[in-house]
Formats: sequence, C-alpha cells, structure tokens
Amino acid sequence: MTQSMLSHQALGGMQTAMGRVAKAQEQLTTGRIINRPSDDPSGATTAMRIRSSMAMQDQYVRNGDDAVGWLNQADGTLTSVTDQVRRAREIALQGANDGAMGQDARDALATEIDQIRQGLVSSANTTYLDRPIFGGLTAGGRAYDYQVPGDSSTQVDFIGLSDPNGVVRTIADGAKVRVDVEGPDVFGQPNDTVFDHLTALAASLRSGNTAGITSAVDSLAVDGTRVTNVQAEIGARTNRVERAQSVATDSALSLKSSLSEVENTDLAKATVDLGLQNVAYQAALGATARVIQPSLLDFLR
Amino acid sequence: MSGSFSSLNTALSALRYQQTALDVASTNIANASTDGYVRRRALGQTVGAAAAPALWSRSNEVGSGVQSSGVERMVDPLIDTRVRREHARQSFLDTKADALTRVEGGIAEPGDSGVSAALIDFRKALHDLVNAPGSDAARSQVVSSAAVVADSFNIQARNVSDEAGDQRARALESQQQVNDLATQLAATNKIIATAKANGTDTSTLMDSRDQMALKLAELTGATATQRSDGGMDVAIGGVSLVKGSTAGSLEITAGIDSSGAADGSPVAFTVHPADGTADTVVSVEGSLGASAELLNVTLPNYLAQLDGIAQSFASDLNAAQMGGQDANGNAPAKALFTGNSAATIQVTVGFTLRDVAAADPLVGGSDSSNADKMADAITVDDDYQRLVNGFGSDVASVKRLSDNQRAMSTQIDASREQLAGVSIDEETVNMVMAQHSYEAAARVMTTVDEMLDTLINRTGMVGR
Repeated sequence: MTQSMLSHQALGGMQTAMGRVAKAQEQLTTGRIINRPSDDPSGATTAMRIRSSMAMQDQYVRNGDDAVGWLNQADGTLTSVTDQVRRAREIALQGANDGAMGQDARDALATEIDQIRQGLVSSANTTYLDRPIFGGLTAGGRAYDYQVPGDSSTQVDFIGLSDPNGVVRTIADGAKVRVDVEGPDVFGQPNDTVFDHLTALAASLRSGNTAGITSAVDSLAVDGTRVTNVQAEIGARTNRVERAQSVATDSALSLKSSLSEVENTDLAKATVDLGLQNVAYQAALGATARVIQPSLLDFLR
Repeated sequence: MSGSFSSLNTALSALRYQQTALDVASTNIANASTDGYVRRRALGQTVGAAAAPALWSRSNEVGSGVQSSGVERMVDPLIDTRVRREHARQSFLDTKADALTRVEGGIAEPGDSGVSAALIDFRKALHDLVNAPGSDAARSQVVSSAAVVADSFNIQARNVSDEAGDQRARALESQQQVNDLATQLAATNKIIATAKANGTDTSTLMDSRDQMALKLAELTGATATQRSDGGMDVAIGGVSLVKGSTAGSLEITAGIDSSGAADGSPVAFTVHPADGTADTVVSVEGSLGASAELLNVTLPNYLAQLDGIAQSFASDLNAAQMGGQDANGNAPAKALFTGNSAATIQVTVGFTLRDVAAADPLVGGSDSSNADKMADAITVDDDYQRLVNGFGSDVASVKRLSDNQRAMSTQIDASREQLAGVSIDEETVNMVMAQHSYEAAARVMTTVDEMLDTLINRTGMVGR
C-alpha cells in the first residue's frame, strides 16, 4: 500500500461521489430524469411517443373547436331560416283566406314575401371565417346568387361547389365529421327551392291565384320540415363532436400525466437522493483529508 | 587470522553501503509522485572470505563487511503486460463513449427542439391548414414548419459529420504520435543496450521505455515484449513496429487524406515493419482503433439510417403534395422538399405559401382533403424513435462497458502500484534503518580505534 495508491483511490472515490451528486443535481435542475436517450432508451422512446400522441389529442380538440364553430353557425342560421319560412307560410295562409282580403292587402303580403325571400338569400350566404357555410367546397364567398347579380327579382341559383365528402374535420383517430350542409339540402333542389316557392307565392298573391297560394302553403310546409330535419342532424353532429372533444381532452390530460411519470423528476426522491449523495461526497472528502495527511514522518521526532 | 585493521574496513564497507541505501531512499522519496517512476531498492551482499584462499592464508569465516550489489527496479513484467492490455481496452472504450456522448447530445431527444418535435409541429400546421385552407397564415405556417423539419434533419446530420471530422483529425494526430513514439522508443532501446553493455544504471531509461510502450498500447493496442538487451519490441496487430533500435511506421492507407478529409472508403491501417519485411494491413485497437470503428461503422450507420428516414419523409410528403392542387390551381403541384439525405433535405427553393397543395385536384375550390393526406403521409415517427432508441441503447451500453473496464484497470493499476509505487512510510523506515546502521558502523570504527589505542599506547607500560 503506497501513498499514491491512497490518493488515487481517494480521488477516484471523490470523483464517483461527485458524479453522483452532479447526476442528482442535473435531475433536480432540469426537472427531468431522462435528459438524453442513453439515460433510459426505452423511456426516451415512450416519452417521444407520448408527446406525439399528446400533440394529436390537442389537435383533435382544436379541430373540434373549429367543427363546433361551423356547426353552431349553421344551427343559428337554420333557426332563423325556419322562422322566416314559417312566417312566409303564415302569410300564404293569410292570403289564402280570400274572402276578407282585397288585392291591395295581397300586394302588401307579396311585398313582405319578397322581403323574406331576400332575407333567406342572405341567410343562405351566411359565412364562417369567410367561407359560406352552405356553399360546400366553393372557394368563392357566396353559396347562392341571383341569376342577374344584384337584381333581387331574378331567380336564385346555387353557385357553391358540391362534394359528396363536404367540409370535414378529424375529431378523433380515424373519426371524421362533416361540419357543413350544402345549400340544396337546406333550401331544396334546383328549380324546387324555397326561393322558387316564394317567387311563385308572391306572383300568386299579386294575381289573386288562390290555387297557387294554396299549393305554396303546402310546398312551404315541406321546406320547413326539411330545414328542421337538417337542424336536428346538425344537433346530432354537434353532440358527437363535443363528446369526441371531451374524450380528447381527457386523454391529453392522462397522456400528460404519463409523460410526467416517464420523464419528470420525482422531486421528493431526487431531493433525498441529492442529500444522500452529498453526505457521501462529504464523507469521501473527510476521509481523504484524514488519510492523505499523516505519514510516519509525523510520528518520528 | 585477520589483520588488526580488517574491522575498520568492514565498518567502512557498511558506511558506504548505508550511504547507498540512503541515496536510494532519497531518490524514491524525490520521485514519489513522478509519473512512470518505478521504486528502486538497494541490494546488499555480504562480503565473505575469498572463495579460493591464497597458499598460506585461511579464512576466519567471519566475513568482511557488505557491498552494494546493485539497485533493483521493482517491476513485474507480467503485470506490466496486463496493465498495457487493460489500458488499451480502456482507451478504446473511453474514446468511443466520449464520441457517442457528444453525438447523443446533438440529437436533442427527448425534448422540444429535436426532429420529433419538428415533426409534431409540421403535422399540427397541416391540420390547421385542413381547418382553414383559405388562410395565408395557415399556409405560411406549413411552409415554415416544413423548413424547421428540414433544418432539424440538417443539424443532426451536421452534428454526426462534425464528429466524424473530429475523429479523422484525432486519428491523424494519433498516427503521428505513434510514429514519433516508435522512433523515440527505438532510440531509447539503443541507449539501453549500450548502457547495459558498459554497466551503467539503466533504471531511468527503462522507466521512460515502459511509459512509451504503455502510451503506444493506449493509442493502438500494441503489444510489447522485453528484449534480452533491455530494450522493448513493440508490435501492432502482431506486426513488428519497433524492433530493437530500428523503428517501423504506421500509415493510414485509406479513409483519411492528408488534410484530414474523408476519401470515401473505410479507414485502413498499414504497418511498414521495423524488420524490413513486407508491409502488412493491420487491425488497430486502443483509441486509434476506436476512432476507426467510429468512422467505419458507428457514425456511418447512424447517418445512413437518418438519411433513410429523411429520404422517405421527403418522398412521402412530395408524393402527397404533388397529388394535390395548389392555391393557384396547379396540379400536380410543386414538390415541397428537395434533397435525398438528412444533410441535403430542404424546402424547394422558391416554394411559396400558395404552392401548398391543400386541395384534391378532382374537387378543387376550398377542399383541404389533400392537406389531410399530407398530414397522414408523415409516417417516419416510428422509424425515428427506433433509431433514437437504438442509439441511446448503444451509448448506454458503451458507457457501462467503459465503467466496468475502469473497475478492472483500476485494480490492475493498483497491483502495479503496490509493487512499483513509492511508500513514504516504507522509505522513512529504510532511512531510519540506514541512519542507525551508519551510526553503528561509525561506532565500530570508534571502538576499533580505542582498541588500537589500548594496544599501541598502553601495552608494554608495566612498571613505568
């Protein structure tokens, strides 16, 4: 046993102890137990996977927010469409009671029908984030327009872009939901639209064509039912999106806690570890100080 | 019957020998912390009667003192061989572990700044584009996060090739060092042989000879054998590099050119042997061997896998992008990425936000199903995670091996130190012994002196 063996051993011991202190300190200061892949290769992979799934769940929540925005906009618009169609039908019923009503009163009703028609066209062009919600995949700003643009007396045509898939949002793994409704599904197929019915009604009112008014009452009833049905479907979709959103929020939270379990330092444990390692380091220092100092020379006179 | 003065001579020989012992102890103490110093021990030998007495003389069989029979260097060649072998392994593992740890640091995983995080952001940008295909903000987010993915691949590739560059420079420097050491060792061998022939003490030369052999072992895993003339022969991979007073040389024949750049082929070594036989290709161990392994296997493998991932990422995304229609109505749209390796992948020069193909060309308009397809085309996460996992395991295992080897080499070093190291206590004891023996021998002289005084001055004085 020689002095330099002692000092090498002491040095080695101190460095090991200090390395452990440094490790515990790193875990405490970074707050993470995996600071590089080699700290725990499989843990590091798990952490990467969880991060990626977490990002996906967050994205689903954001997609859901957007979907709910679309659907709420559609729902609100459809409520107002229903009101307007109902009002038009009331007017038609009023007009059908021909006995008490003069032509002047019918003309006034026809004017109101024209107003309602214009109001419906503007409802049909409602937008969400600058996109017409009934326009399908159109890149333009409108879903419906007058045949002669700006002339409200002309026929109203669907100018959106139909697509069987429509506007969809991914709200969960592989789960997509359609967030738009195409104009024809709400306002009727071309040449049988609510706008055509209103034009016919206004014309019948002006000409006093009772049979025309009565048939308009029937067709407006069909229009109203169609809109209500679509609205019910929108409600069902909204429900579905909201449920998916809450699932995504929950799983994002639970993933976050798993990530923390894999990756984050258990503060209590790390603090105790640091304390222990520190004590060990100080013991190594103390022992070294005692061992290195004396030699036989200290005891010879 | 011995002469009257023989005891004086005996005492004188003791004084001389103890003087030598004290000298040796003081040299040991002086070099207690010198690197490579091997403890010496003074060897004493009894001076006996003449082995072949002269005609009428006869031995009194008491002996006539002590003489120094030389200074012994406390080494065990077997332990030294072992030390060289363990040190070679240690430096191999240490070099590898250090380099891999540096590369690992540049991977930046798991974290918020690596390839993995960039892929997550890119996917997020594409999903946002799905939600808002008409928004320029969403489009520009897609282009810039694509650039971030490309950058993070570039950074990792650069990180690996920088490390390869460092290792090449290191290999060149080590090779130079090996050749210098070989030349010096050959010169030292020559001096030792000469000095031994004329009886000079060669301990100090042998210390430096052993140190050079150890250094050569650490650099290349070279083996050394002691020669009968005191020198040391060194061989790399079984091919002689130093033989007596002649030195061969080690050459890097492929893989690294003289400026330290890669020449495209694996690193290979050749020894021009000291004994003039044909040049031989050798496999080198030690730190130089570690550099070669890193350059030939570890780093290229990692880079090749990373390249594969970057390439399949780029081609998947390009296929998805070019299957769509961009905001200007072009279908097929412009490719998003160019480059086919981790180092060269980049967003196509001149790619603008309106070039992102969000729409299906059959639908057009505000369709965003193609952006969704692009998001689904990011499928390299798994491969990348496997790569990082594999690399992390490699680093962890090399670190563990290096730690184990350190325990082993520390133990071997300790057993060498046990023999060759200077213990101050032991030397102090030796000094005290030498001092007391010296005093006692001096006392012998005084005693003999007094005896002679009695004999000369006080005998024959009867009746005076």
